[in-house]
Amino acid sequence: MIRSLALPILFGLAGLVLPFTGSSYLIGVGFALCCSIALVQSWTVLSAMTGYVSLGHAVFYGLGAYVVALSWGALPMPVGLLLAGGVAGVFALLVGMPVLRVRGPYFVILTFGLAELVKYLVIILESELGSFSRLMFGAPDLGVLYAIAFALAAIATAGALLIRRSRLGRGLLALRENEEAAETVGVPVVRLKLVAFALSAVIPGVVGGLAAMRTTYFEPMQAFDPTVSFTIVTMAVVGGSDDARGPLLGAAFFTILSEVLWARLPQVYMVVLGLLLILFVLFIPRGLAGIFAGRPGKAA
Amino acid sequence: MTALSVEGVSKSFGGLRALSDVTFTVAEGETVGIMGANGAGKTTLFSLIAGHGRPTEGDIRLGERSLLGLSPDRICRLGIARTFQIVKPFGGLTVLDNVVVAALYGNADRPSQRDAEARGLAALTAVGLADRADGLAETLTLSGQKRLEVARAIATGARFLLLDEVMAGLTPPEVAEMLGLLDAVRRRHRLTLMVIEHVMKALMQLSDRILVLHHGELIATGAPAEIARDPTVLRVYYGEGA
Ligand SMILES: Nc1ncnc2c1ncn2[C@@H]1O[C@H](COP(=O)(O)OP(=O)(O)OP(=O)(O)O)[C@@H](O)[C@H]1O
Ligand SMILES: [Mg+2]
Repeated sequence: MIRSLALPILFGLAGLVLPFTGSSYLIGVGFALCCSIALVQSWTVLSAMTGYVSLGHAVFYGLGAYVVALSWGALPMPVGLLLAGGVAGVFALLVGMPVLRVRGPYFVILTFGLAELVKYLVIILESELGSFSRLMFGAPDLGVLYAIAFALAAIATAGALLIRRSRLGRGLLALRENEEAAETVGVPVVRLKLVAFALSAVIPGVVGGLAAMRTTYFEPMQAFDPTVSFTIVTMAVVGGSDDARGPLLGAAFFTILSEVLWARLPQVYMVVLGLLLILFVLFIPRGLAGIFAGRPGKAA
Repeated sequence: MTALSVEGVSKSFGGLRALSDVTFTVAEGETVGIMGANGAGKTTLFSLIAGHGRPTEGDIRLGERSLLGLSPDRICRLGIARTFQIVKPFGGLTVLDNVVVAALYGNADRPSQRDAEARGLAALTAVGLADRADGLAETLTLSGQKRLEVARAIATGARFLLLDEVMAGLTPPEVAEMLGLLDAVRRRHRLTLMVIEHVMKALMQLSDRILVLHHGELIATGAPAEIARDPTVLRVYYGEGA
């Protein structure tokens, strides 16, 4: 318990100190890191705890961005962000019923397809509305955005830690291991999966809204970019998702990597992502966190 | 008092009739054994009672309440727990976590986590697995996993247990041990049991009454001694001429 809290606390302290550097480059990197941590921790609530691997979390991110863009100027910024999370959560509840009926690779493909479908629906809708990208004037400055992202990362990390130890978490882990056996001992699997799906969607929705403010515009191809989904999964695999440490390590690793690569060889980024994914899935299924814990072998 | 009534239950899988018009009742506190050759429909009967699949015809009632259409987790919380012939442990969880989740979700009184842990540990103790509590369930031997199935069912707080071949594949000393612990558990918790078993001696020893299924039909029911000399049973088990 103490051991598993050490890393989150270390990250938390670093995150609190960061703004005092006054470096907008560092704060920008910190913003990206916090967003990634919030996304991956949220993703683990569904995908690590139930075994339903989502390759479509970009849909929540994109919807959040869209909600914030649509409500820009009409609603106060905090309300827009809360609405972004709410819409993402409600969307997960609505599509969860049918989507969570399939397991394994079918679920992976279905979530991916769903995200692409929503992306093109939004593109069509936007062109009907005659707007191809929405500019957002007067977005808050980086310091404010960073503070919000940091709070989201902290909430997502604490949430993932708490859920894992809660009644809900125990039910999710049981159904991950064997759904039929879980049902037989009283776990309401359909309801629990839906709750996990919705919980894992809310914060990504807010993060999407925040990211739109950072770029100060909304454009569907970018907001619903499947790279977001791939990156989440890769961060979780590389970092490990057995507990809250993995997403921290995975997000940190890739944030640093992308800083290094984007600057020099942007095309290589996706290649490296793919290679690392294969390498870790095959040889280090417990991820970086597993290496740190001295158990790089078999995943739970 | 009647705990469970199965009334005219049939189940077809496509063209295959796995159960046809099966009717019987189980009294509270009774242990009912079920025998029958491979494919006779024994496991199918348990699945229907536990809510995995719906009878093609007929009704299943717990007391006065029909169980038809209820989800398995609901039926568990009403007090019926089953074990699986092909064991289904939560392999990646510890042995203790396997039973704690059963205690947390299976009991209608929604115990706290701490309470559930105590109940889980009690269930492990009852089946002799307490010393393996911290190991992963997938590292247990078959005998251990069979006992874990029983422990999980007990941990749900169910009063009615459906035990599907919990002795199959065990060595004779392990069978004796399982018989002993089942007997102790049913007394302590005043359980009603339905037991499927191919180990005839064990079944005879444990049961108050035995039902015999043959090609999905209930062909005989009676005390173990009666079943042992029932002409119909002897005929289907040992061929004509017996
Ligand atoms: N889900 C299913 N779909 C199709 N057929 C099934 C299904 N479940 C069982 N059956 C068939 O129903 C019949 C009864 O099966 P069941 O598993 O109930 O037998 P059993 O008495 O438990 O046998 P055993 O002693 O081998 O465990 C078999 O012919 C089996 O193949
Ligand atoms: Mg069977």
